[in-house]
Amino acid sequence: MSDDTDLRDLCNRFLDSIERRDMGAVAEILSPDLQFWANFTNQTKSRDAMLEAIGAGYAAHRRRTYDDRQIRTFDHGFLAQYTCRLVRHDGSSLALWAAMVAEVRDGRIVRVDEYLDSGKFAKQPASGAAR
Amino acid sequence: MMTDAELRELCRRFFDGYEGHRIEEVASTLADDFTVWMAPFDKTMQREDWLKSSVSGWSNTRRRIYIDRNVDTFDCGFVHRYTLHITEHSGRKSTLQVCVVAECRDGRIVHMAEYIDPSKSPAWEERKRREAAAAAAAEKAAAEVKA
Repeated sequence: MSDDTDLRDLCNRFLDSIERRDMGAVAEILSPDLQFWANFTNQTKSRDAMLEAIGAGYAAHRRRTYDDRQIRTFDHGFLAQYTCRLVRHDGSSLALWAAMVAEVRDGRIVRVDEYLDSGKFAKQPASGAAR
Repeated sequence: MMTDAELRELCRRFFDGYEGHRIEEVASTLADDFTVWMAPFDKTMQREDWLKSSVSGWSNTRRRIYIDRNVDTFDCGFVHRYTLHITEHSGRKSTLQVCVVAECRDGRIVHMAEYIDPSKSPAWEERKRREAAAAAAAEKAAAEVKA
């Protein structure tokens, strides 16, 4: 079990590392047996598949930030509610409101469940701020 | 501060009441200043409007079942992840994976945030289109008033 401060720090390091495109740091935070599940696919992926998906996102977007973070902790993990802002290579942007529940063991994330509205990927305007 | 057991019981009462279409039981779990925010619509509703909309929603569907319930509690609330099976009057069925975050105070829920992917449910997609059309109509009406 980790304490509240450790879990909050882990959550922020995870999201900060993705923002910075520091794949080494992201990989370090994820347990080798990580399971990653998302509501829009209803599929569970491995750590390597998750890292691959994050890398693919970098190719598609100029910038990705996790804003408006609200983090709550419980005895074996944390909940993060956030606005994910994406800036495409053409300068257009979009925002997604998402929630992520993570289970943590020995200071590393062992499971991530992510909930978001996949319709936002396609339907937001191609230019200007999303919100 | 509510205990883990109290938060779990509050969560169970709310969702069991909702599943059973027992509006008074659902209302008893909500604070007077309750608000709910729905991520797909980026819309916040007040307690009375949300209760009315819930009753209306129940009349549009034959059955809603909440299964695979997974509840975690934190110091001032709970996060509830579940699978929602919807059966419409036409017999059309859909399944949604939902995450609800609730903030609680004095034994009642004061705020909820709902994360859902409406594209997985025709009924929710239709609702989303209706909400967007209503918002556009309201915006147009407001612009006409100003003009």
